[in-house]
Amino acid sequence: MPEPPEGSHDVDVEALLPMLRRIVGARMGDHPSAEDVVQEAVARVLAAQDRIEPRTLEAYAIRTVRNVMASVWRRDDTDARNRHRTHDPSRPEDGEEIVVASEERSAMTEALARLSDRERELLLAHEVSGHSTKGLGEATGSSPGAVAAQLARTRARLRVEYLLVLEDVEPPTEQCRPVLLALSAADRRRQRELDAPRHLLECPTCARLSEPLLGRTLPRQDEVHVPISGDPDIVAARQAARELAADAGVTGTDLTMLATAVSEVARNIVRFAGNGEVTIELVERPRAGIRVVARDTGPGIPDVDEALRDGFSTYNGLGLGLPGARRLMDEFAVESVSGHGTTVTMTKWFERKA
Amino acid sequence: MSSGPALVSILRQGDILVASVHTALDDAEMVRFQEDLVEQIGQYRARGVIIDVAALDVIDSFAANTLRSIADIARLRGAHTVIVGIQPDVAFAMVSLGMGLAGVTTALDLEEGLAHLAGIRAGTRSGPSGG
Amino acid sequence: MSDPNPDQRTADEVSVEAQQLLPQLVAHLREHRATLRDAWVGRIRDAHLLEAMTPQEMAAETTSVYDNYVEVLETGSVEALQHYARDLSERIIPRGVETHEVVGIVLLLRDVLARSLFEKYQGDVALLNHVLDAYEPAANRIANTVAVSFVDERERVIRQQQDAIRELSTPVLPVRERLLILPIIGVLDSERAKQLTVQLLGGIRTHRAKVVVIDITGAPDVDQTVANHLVQTVDASRLMGASVIITGLSPTIAQTLVTIGVDLSKMNTIGDLQGGLEEAERLLGYHVSRKEVTDGS
Repeated sequence: MPEPPEGSHDVDVEALLPMLRRIVGARMGDHPSAEDVVQEAVARVLAAQDRIEPRTLEAYAIRTVRNVMASVWRRDDTDARNRHRTHDPSRPEDGEEIVVASEERSAMTEALARLSDRERELLLAHEVSGHSTKGLGEATGSSPGAVAAQLARTRARLRVEYLLVLEDVEPPTEQCRPVLLALSAADRRRQRELDAPRHLLECPTCARLSEPLLGRTLPRQDEVHVPISGDPDIVAARQAARELAADAGVTGTDLTMLATAVSEVARNIVRFAGNGEVTIELVERPRAGIRVVARDTGPGIPDVDEALRDGFSTYNGLGLGLPGARRLMDEFAVESVSGHGTTVTMTKWFERKA
Repeated sequence: MSSGPALVSILRQGDILVASVHTALDDAEMVRFQEDLVEQIGQYRARGVIIDVAALDVIDSFAANTLRSIADIARLRGAHTVIVGIQPDVAFAMVSLGMGLAGVTTALDLEEGLAHLAGIRAGTRSGPSGG
Repeated sequence: MSDPNPDQRTADEVSVEAQQLLPQLVAHLREHRATLRDAWVGRIRDAHLLEAMTPQEMAAETTSVYDNYVEVLETGSVEALQHYARDLSERIIPRGVETHEVVGIVLLLRDVLARSLFEKYQGDVALLNHVLDAYEPAANRIANTVAVSFVDERERVIRQQQDAIRELSTPVLPVRERLLILPIIGVLDSERAKQLTVQLLGGIRTHRAKVVVIDITGAPDVDQTVANHLVQTVDASRLMGASVIITGLSPTIAQTLVTIGVDLSKMNTIGDLQGGLEEAERLLGYHVSRKEVTDGS
């Protein structure tokens, strides 16, 4: 357990309290967990205090409190999705409205204004006037399914626009809106097409904005994200990989090989890029296995072939852990763009029992 | 020394140091371990060093290189290092990775490591009880 | 192959009539069971099939097959036959009965019965045609069922044996205290090589081995991949504190190792297993009867 630190640091953290309350108040309003979130964030900041430069304490605290809020939303969202099982008609029918429910009215009005007339009318007809998708479909000459899909897209847009208004930011790149939209809609295919994880690494604005949105896609049992920025994250990444693989039934030597390979690629991020993430996911196609994607925003590798080359059984090469990691895995690919960073994708197939 | 549960312990038995790694170490902790151990080798004029890594479920390139450089530095200071307790799965992953620790003495466990150092002391490589 | 539809009628008409004829046919086969079965056994003997069976076994099995056969004709369901065929296969496969024998005896039975039907109905060619229309598809289905059951069973047995061989062919043998022998027999693929190494490493820990002799005399092909594995095995064993001696290294394999950049001088290779064991004992500090030539490496 972290011991409470002593000395002048206390004052610093305490000084952050009003700001944290303001942030939480703005996002969560009178959510029953609001004060808990503040306290949890303070506790985390205190625990991490020794690792943080005093001047970055404030930024760290903001980031932490947002993480905590995201996890509360995530939890609420899961609760709301399971709500129909206990049937409480006083609650909205799905989790879509959770973010919306505690919004500041003005931001919502502005966000609504950013939708097209058609989108706005459809949304209001459904949410406010209570028309069913069936009725709306008949009125517009399309199927209830098409209307529902249209509604889902519109809600996703509304969430994105609302966040942009609330934070008062204009997306810095062309890529931002589509990525946020794909995250908001929990559209994994679109996220892959846009390489959303990489964009979030490269664009701090979207990284910040997307936190409440990510809560909508994250609760998956077959995928883990580990942000990588320092030595302890290397250990965290390989342990996460080991756990996920063990849960999927991988045993013995394969587990150790996987964890070792993850350790190598995570270290590359820390050493050569400074910042990135490792994603570990179970895959089904073309056969069952586990896939590790390591993304960073570093300078990129000038000569990938060179970085992958080494002699057998000696550890030379460029000092990157890539050749070794490749030998530990079944599939291995490196993509590197100078100035943008590197993505290592590697897969280990599960053994087939005869 | 840091507070909290020790990640590593270093015990002295005569002129032999026995270092046990108790849990997964990150790179910074690994470096710290190397520094502590090297310091104690000098301080106690150790002739033998045993590093027990049985608790490590991964020995990646950094950990392997650190172990190797500890052995190199110890040798320069007149101490012989034996790495003990590498698990079968870990050994397999290490050689797949290309980290065979060539040139570093290894033994099955602490007991074997001590026997090896005793053998060196007796000036022969044959078994302890002089067969 | 016989033509099941000799005249101009549709298949449906044929099958309706065939259905009606089948009971008559079954009754005939039941009535002449003893004679027909004997005729069948005679044909089997002439064809030198199932010679692994004793006359008693032959009598028992052929009777069962005959009854099952007629039952399928009667009920149209092959399920019971399938079970019986599996069962039979399980009993006769270990005795070396081959697929062609099993298919052969079923085809013989089909012919014996067809001939008997021919004799019975040869006076009325039209009726004979109908009877054969009814009989042939059913008989083919039976032959098919038996053959498939046998082959399935055989494959299952082969798979089982392969697994067993796989286990057996990578034995880690504790010869004496602290000494393991790993004789590699048969073809090594990458997966098996890995399995073997993992098994050996586990064995080193279990038996607290200090020396391992890997004898590759029995491994015919060592390609680059396998050679790599061999080197990895040596390195991994060393990480666990065990020295490896490789014996039975043919000049070809030695060449392969050199090709992939293995420094053979760093590997302890000895010509034959006997020499390897002597070297192992030396490493372990046991003194073989000859006077020792000191070498302090």
